[in-house]
Amino acid sequence: MSQGPDFKQRRRVIQGAVAASALSFAPGLMAQAAPVRVGYTMSRTGPWTGGAQVSQEPNFLLWAEQQNAAGGLDIRGVKRRIELISSDDRSDVETVVRTYEKLMGSDKVDMVLPPWGSNANFAVAPLANRFGYPFLAPTALSRRLVEMKLPFFFLLLQQPKSMCDALVDMFKANGVRSVACIYVDDLFGLENYAAFKVALQGTGINLVEDKSYPGGVKDLSPVLRSIKDKNPDAFVGFTYPPDTILASRQSKEIGLNPKIFYASVGTAFPLYKNVMTPAGAEGVMGMGSWNGKTSPGAKAYFDAHLASQKKEPDRWASGACWAGLEILTAAVKQVGLDRKAIRDYVANSTHKTIIGDIRFQGSENVGTPGTVGQWQNGEFEVVWPAARATAKLNPNKSAWK
Amino acid sequence: MNDRQILTRDLLVLFSLTGWGLSLPYFGSDFMVSMGLTCLMYIALSSSWGLFCGNTRYLSLATSAFFGIGAYTCALQLEQLGWAATIALGAGVAAAVAVVMGAAVLHLRGTYFAVLTFGMTELIRHAVTYYEKSVTGTVGRVLTVVPERDTIYLTVLCLAVITVGLSMWVRRTRLGLALVGIGADEQRAQTLGVDTRWVKLLGFAMTAAVAGAVGAAMSVRWTYIDPHTVFNPFIGFQTVLIALIGGAMTLWGPLIAAVVFSLLAETLRLQAPQVYMMSLGLLLILCVLYLPAGLASLRWDTWKIWRDDIRAWWKERRREWTGEKERDKRRAREQRLV
Amino acid sequence: MALGAWLELIGSGLITGGVYALVALGMNLQYGLMRILNIAHGEFLMVGAYLTWMVHTAVGLSPVLMIPVAFLVLGVAGMAIHFLCFRRLVSTSPNLDIFEARGLMVAFGLMFLVQNLVSWLWGGDLRGYDFLTDPVSVAGAPVAGNKLLVFALALLFSLGMLALLRATLLGKGVRALMQSSVGAQLVGIDTKRLHPMMFGLGLGLSGVAGCLLSMAYTIAPSMGEPYTVTALIVITLGGFGSMGGALLGGLLLGVVEAVGMHYTNPSLKALLSYAVFIAVLLLRPEGLFTRKTRKA
Repeated sequence: MSQGPDFKQRRRVIQGAVAASALSFAPGLMAQAAPVRVGYTMSRTGPWTGGAQVSQEPNFLLWAEQQNAAGGLDIRGVKRRIELISSDDRSDVETVVRTYEKLMGSDKVDMVLPPWGSNANFAVAPLANRFGYPFLAPTALSRRLVEMKLPFFFLLLQQPKSMCDALVDMFKANGVRSVACIYVDDLFGLENYAAFKVALQGTGINLVEDKSYPGGVKDLSPVLRSIKDKNPDAFVGFTYPPDTILASRQSKEIGLNPKIFYASVGTAFPLYKNVMTPAGAEGVMGMGSWNGKTSPGAKAYFDAHLASQKKEPDRWASGACWAGLEILTAAVKQVGLDRKAIRDYVANSTHKTIIGDIRFQGSENVGTPGTVGQWQNGEFEVVWPAARATAKLNPNKSAWK
Repeated sequence: MNDRQILTRDLLVLFSLTGWGLSLPYFGSDFMVSMGLTCLMYIALSSSWGLFCGNTRYLSLATSAFFGIGAYTCALQLEQLGWAATIALGAGVAAAVAVVMGAAVLHLRGTYFAVLTFGMTELIRHAVTYYEKSVTGTVGRVLTVVPERDTIYLTVLCLAVITVGLSMWVRRTRLGLALVGIGADEQRAQTLGVDTRWVKLLGFAMTAAVAGAVGAAMSVRWTYIDPHTVFNPFIGFQTVLIALIGGAMTLWGPLIAAVVFSLLAETLRLQAPQVYMMSLGLLLILCVLYLPAGLASLRWDTWKIWRDDIRAWWKERRREWTGEKERDKRRAREQRLV
Repeated sequence: MALGAWLELIGSGLITGGVYALVALGMNLQYGLMRILNIAHGEFLMVGAYLTWMVHTAVGLSPVLMIPVAFLVLGVAGMAIHFLCFRRLVSTSPNLDIFEARGLMVAFGLMFLVQNLVSWLWGGDLRGYDFLTDPVSVAGAPVAGNKLLVFALALLFSLGMLALLRATLLGKGVRALMQSSVGAQLVGIDTKRLHPMMFGLGLGLSGVAGCLLSMAYTIAPSMGEPYTVTALIVITLGGFGSMGGALLGGLLLGVVEAVGMHYTNPSLKALLSYAVFIAVLLLRPEGLFTRKTRKA
């Protein structure tokens, strides 16, 4: 089929004209498609990795994925793709500080998401203030962070006082008369222990033993044995995941079978069920505030998390993290990307999230009450307070299996 | 180059680097300043480490202990005293602890000393944790009133310059010669009249003072410090690594290595974080095996020597695989005939 | 406190101590024989633990069967590492002090390398599995099945190691080398072959320890360091180079820790261990269980 040079020439001209006209539209199209830059650091190596990769980073990735699948983040009616700018902070505070200074100071990203853990959040809280970026932190726990009264910093997780008050209320309602407590030698352990003691005052519950231990300890059986001798009704451990598992295993080993066994961080992780086996985990209580039954939104989130990130979210911080992302999404939809406006929106409204209403008083979330969770039939249920319970509390844990 | 020329060259380099460092806050972005801060921190730490430990061959792993002591001093005293006084106090307390520690352990050598300093670091860390927990009822300290970022930067720059300057000066005094002498052969130095005990204590205290001052300065960047973060042994390990790879006995070696590693850490962190640590380890092994005096001892000749070494090794291998068998057989035959 | 409770306490101390002894034995062999202070020892323990976990969760193979596998894999790795990293040091170091210092630094590098390699390959999450956790009654005291197994095997390996050194010709050769390297070579003992073999043996032991530990504890890339430190303390207590001392030192340390934890706070455990460590290093550097004639 011979097409003379004329035809080719004409084709080229037409193509050129179409291209030129398309290009004149393109800047408009491209401006619409400019992505929203969201920056953060996360621990992918080092000691904080376990917690960060269970409770926090999967949520960030799921959020970006979901929003982008729907066309982008809705910013006052205009949808823009989310571009995550993230890096590994190697569980090192200096790296966290440096990276956030870069993200907020030189790169001037549109939004930031918080790092994992109290230490890192302590370091970035003043930065948030200096640069004027709102931070909603799901894994920061300390009364002192609240006391710093930083207007751009919000803590989503229930603080020690509310969690311990809930725990003690639960004890009172179930006739617990004596309790033994161990806690890790760390800000988390100390603050919770202090709050616990304050909560116990005037209740008539006898604290028969309270011992602290260094994180990473290899053998808790001497302590557990002496607790067993005192035969308390309840056992409370303010522990980190490796110690939670260690305490559980060694309690099984020496036959410490109190009616109520409560270990804080780690019980809400799917890891606990895997390592202890579902039968072994039955009846164990811990810090948890939601599961798939808490609300239809929660169930949808759970399924999406499992499908996209190939692992279950944990039943405490993950929920708070997702709630924070929900709040941010709603804020941006309402007020756009003006950081001060976002901050005011977060501080002044009551937010509806998958874990219920969230309301901030200063930096602290006062909308989510302290809660207690319990493993029942392979699922971590919320059992206290009754208003938020997804299952009935079992006050008599059977012997370890 | 005679000594005068070397001194002039060193001073010139130091001044130009200082000038460059001073200007960084003005034209550099926040990020570059932070990078610079980390670089300077490790320059100060590794140069001071090299000054004592490189020359005397007493491998000290106690840098983290002094760093942490400085940090805690700052956390405790910053409100009462001013900034400069706190830094000086941090240095002073660290040096005092070093003198006590040194008096107890500096008569041991080699691996014992290294292991002991490591044990002491951990002991101090656990002691501080326990004390804080039992007596003051807290675990970490919050620093609420902190100076400007530029102040911190200038302080650390100042410390780095002082350390390098100190290193230059000590080398040219009898103290420096004494340190090198102890490293070469301690007993011989003693017979030649060097008071090894005092020299070692002084050197150790100098290292500690710098580490304490740096610790005091850096602690304010983190707002919240606890024993686990500031007594982190990794700080000590990284200092040692940088000093060794750079060339512990040289003047500019630790500085070069500190800059290279800070940049490397930042680039690799963004791509593949574990690769940075792995390459650090691998580089250290290669350095110790093939370049024991560190990067700073790399000269043009070194490449030639390596090239010749590799050629000789390859020749040997070829001989072994092809020719040696023949020769062995021949030798055996001859022996039998004899 | 009742006698039964005392026995339980000491028993749990002995079990922990048994594992310490096993880890320390390998390190002691390397230091006593070759004067290589392998502070990356704990990292190889961690590798053994990860291998066991991986095979157990992937194929369902019992950890007990993994013990010889872990031993072999790490033994071969040890020989390779010795060949690659440490052999050259022998020829290039002018004296023993420098050799020790350089060996320490190479071990340092290995520590970084191995820990981050594992973290890269398997991720930083906590891992664990359930194996024989049901309590078994021993003289009236309940002990977890896996802990008992760990203790028994640790003791078995330690005693086996001691028997090897005392009774066999190979063992005699190793002890001769420990006494005097030159003298041993003069009577025809082949250092070139013995050194890598013993290094491999040391690492193999740590791999076995890792395999045993994975049965009872959760594993993470950072689990190795505390064991290295404990092994160091045990070797110091027992005396550098003394095998029997390492065994006794490990058991002693375990018991001291358990009793200490019971009467005081577990938080003091670390403080206590380090205080003991430094005290021994300063006052009796050759160890508690060796004769004073041995040069430190």
